[in-house]
Amino acid sequence: MKIAFVIALRNLMRHKGKSFVIGAILFMGALIMTLGNAVISGMNRGLSENIVERFTGHVVVISEAQESANILFIPMGKDIALIKDFAKVQKVLSEQTYLASYLPAARGFSFVLTEEGDVDFAMLLGVDFPEYNKMFRENVKLVEGKLLDKQERGMLISQNRRVRFFNDQNIWVKPIGFPLDEKNFSDEAKKYREKMIVKDSLVLMGASGDSTASDVRTDIKGIMRYEFLDDYWKFFNILDIETFRECFQWVTNADAAANLSKDTKNLIAREENLDALFNDSTVVAAKSGKAEISTSLKKLKDKSSVAKPNTDAGAYNVVFVKLKESGKIQERVKDLNAAFKAAGAPARAVTWQAAIGQLGDMAGIIRGALTGFVLFIFFVAVIIIMNTLSMAALERTAELGMMRAVGAPKRFVTVMFLIETASLAVIFGGLGILVGAASVPILKAMHITADNNILQLLFGGKTFAPYLGVTDILVGVIELVLVTGFASVYPIVVAQRITPLDAISRD
Amino acid sequence: MRIIEMKNVRKDYPLGETTVSALKGVDFSVDEGDLLSVVGPSGSGKTTLLNIIGCIDKPSSGEVDIAGQNITLLDDNALTDLRLYTVGFIFQTFNLIPVLDVLENVEFPLLLMKENAPSKKEIKERAEHLLAEVGLTAQLHQRPAELSGGQRQRVAIARALVTNPKIVLADEPTANLDSDTGHKILELMRKLNEEHKTTFVFSTHDPDVLQYARHVVKIRDGLIVEDAPILERKRSKTGAKSKK
Repeated sequence: MKIAFVIALRNLMRHKGKSFVIGAILFMGALIMTLGNAVISGMNRGLSENIVERFTGHVVVISEAQESANILFIPMGKDIALIKDFAKVQKVLSEQTYLASYLPAARGFSFVLTEEGDVDFAMLLGVDFPEYNKMFRENVKLVEGKLLDKQERGMLISQNRRVRFFNDQNIWVKPIGFPLDEKNFSDEAKKYREKMIVKDSLVLMGASGDSTASDVRTDIKGIMRYEFLDDYWKFFNILDIETFRECFQWVTNADAAANLSKDTKNLIAREENLDALFNDSTVVAAKSGKAEISTSLKKLKDKSSVAKPNTDAGAYNVVFVKLKESGKIQERVKDLNAAFKAAGAPARAVTWQAAIGQLGDMAGIIRGALTGFVLFIFFVAVIIIMNTLSMAALERTAELGMMRAVGAPKRFVTVMFLIETASLAVIFGGLGILVGAASVPILKAMHITADNNILQLLFGGKTFAPYLGVTDILVGVIELVLVTGFASVYPIVVAQRITPLDAISRD
Repeated sequence: MRIIEMKNVRKDYPLGETTVSALKGVDFSVDEGDLLSVVGPSGSGKTTLLNIIGCIDKPSSGEVDIAGQNITLLDDNALTDLRLYTVGFIFQTFNLIPVLDVLENVEFPLLLMKENAPSKKEIKERAEHLLAEVGLTAQLHQRPAELSGGQRQRVAIARALVTNPKIVLADEPTANLDSDTGHKILELMRKLNEEHKTTFVFSTHDPDVLQYARHVVKIRDGLIVEDAPILERKRSKTGAKSKK
C-alpha cells in the first residue's frame, strides 16, 4: 500500500488549493475545539477550585428528612431539616478513610430586628469559624474589624450585606470596638452620610417553620468578603455556631430536638428543672428563651468544646465534606449513603453541584452551551470537509475509475482517501491543537477579568483561566480523529461507487 | 484456444420509460494471440462490447467467458482480480495517474498484486523493459503532463502489458492522436502482439486502422454484421509487412 501513500500525498500537493481549504478548516476547527475544551476545563477547575475548595467541599451531608438537595441557594426563609442524631452521622463520617476533612455547620435565614422598628433579614452560616476558614482555604477575607476566634461569639457580616442594610434601613454596621472606617463607605453611604445610623451589634431572630426562635443580640466582630465568587456567596453572613443555635432555639443534640418525648416536654415546662435536661444525649427545642437555658447552653458548650475541640456533636443541618480524591465524587456519595444506611444514621450525602442548586444549574447551562458550541464547530467542520472531499472525489472520477479498471480494489481507494484526509488532519489539525495549546497560557497570562456573575461562572472565578491538561489535549485529538473520520465516510463511499465505467463515460 | 467467448449477449440501458439496447444478442469469440479489431460507426455498440470483455460492465443477458471464467457469475472482487491479472486496458484518453511519473504509472498494476506479486526489483525491471520497448526510456521520470499524446498512449500500452495479461483491450486507442502517431501506436501494438502472443482487441471507426488487425468484427446497431479473419494485409504506410 506504499503506492497509496505516494499517490495520496502527491495528490495533496497537486491540489494545493483544495488541500489548503480543507487544512484551514481542520486547523480552525482544531484550534477552536482546543480552546473550547480549555475554557470548559478551566471553568470546571475554577468552579471546583472556588466552590468545592472554598465553600462547599466535594460532598454535602444533609438530613435524610431534607427533601431538596439544594440547601445553599434555596428561596429565602425555607428551612433546612435538622440532622437528627448527629453523633451517629459523625461516627460514620469519622470512619470513612476516603474523607480528607469534614465540617458540620448550620445554615439558616434570620430576621434582623432593629430599634428603629424595621425588619430586615440575613442569611446565616453558623460555623466554628477558625475551622471553617482553615478548611476552605481562608476564603473569608477581612475588610474591617477582626475575624472570629475559636469559640468566640459574634458575627461576620459580608461587605455586600452591609451596603444592603444601609440602602434598606440607613443602618451602617461596623465591627464592635473599631472606629468607623469612612474609606469603606459605599456611594450611597457617602451620599446620605447625615442619615446614617451606625450599629455595632444586631438583633437576630431565626426564621424557622419547624421550631421556635428567639431574638439574640449579636456583636459584629468584622466585615468580610469572600475572596472567590463573592458575588454568589455574599448573601452568607457568618455567625458562631452557638449563637446560631440560640437564635434558632437549637439548644443542643439534634435527634432530641426533633423527637422530644412527652416527659421531656413536661420537664421543659418546669423552669427549675431545666438544667437537668442537659446531658450528653439530650437536646431541647425550648419554648421560650430563658436565661437558664442560656446558662445551661454555655455549660454544655464549654463541656463539649473541651472534649471535642474540632467538632461538636450538637445540632447541625449541614456537613461540608472534602474527599481525598476529587475525581470520585459520585462514587463516594454512594459509599457514604450506604454507610449512613448501614449505621442507621439519618443523613444523606449529595454532590456539591446538587447542594448549590441553581448556581450549579447555571454553571451546567454555561458548560452545556460551551460544549454545544464546540460540537457545532465540530459539525460544521465535518459538513464542509465532507462536501469538499466529496466534490474532490467526483472530480477525480476518471483517475479513480481508471485505477479500478486496471485492478485497484475498493479498499485501495478507501485507504488512499483516508491517507489524504488523515495527512491533512495530522498536519493542519495537529497545528491547530498546538496553536490552541500555546494560546492557553497566553490567554491565562492576559488576566482577563470577569465583570459580571455569568462571566465569573464561565471563567470559574474572577479571571479567565483556561486550562489544558493532557486529557483535554487527548480529547482534542479524539475530536479531530472523529471529525476526520466522519468527514471521510461519505467521500469514501462516493469514491468507492466510482466504477471503471464512470471513468470511460467521462471520456 | 478460445480466450473470449460471448453467447447471445444483450446489453440494455433504461432511458426514461424506454430501453435502449446497445447489444442485441451478440455471439462472438476470439482465439488466444489474436489481433482483433471491432469496427463500427459511433453508437454501434463496440465500446459496450469492449467494456463487457474487459469486465468493467456486465451484460443484461447472455454468457461471457473470459479466459475460461464466466464473468456474469463473478462478484466485484473477482472481477477486479480478473482485470488485474488477466486483462490490460488502454483507454481512449490515456488515463494515466497524473501524480505518478512514467515508470510509476507502468509499475502501478504490479504494485496492486497480492498473489504472485513480483519483487520490487522485478517490478522495476519489467516496467523499464516495457518502456524501452515502447521507446520511452528517456522519459521514465517525467509526469504524464510533460508528455505528448503519443507518448502517453505508449505509457498506457506499457502499463496494459506489464502484468503479462492474456488480453489487452484498447478502445479507440488512436482517436485522440494525429494520424502519424496513431499508426505508430498501432504498429507497436501489432509488434507486441507478435512478440508477446498477447491477445489484442481494439475498437475503431477508422477504416485505415483495419490493416493492423488479423481479425475484424464489424458491428452495427448492436449486432455483429461481419466476423472474419483478414488473410491478406497490405503494408502499412510506415512500411509494415503484409502477413498471412
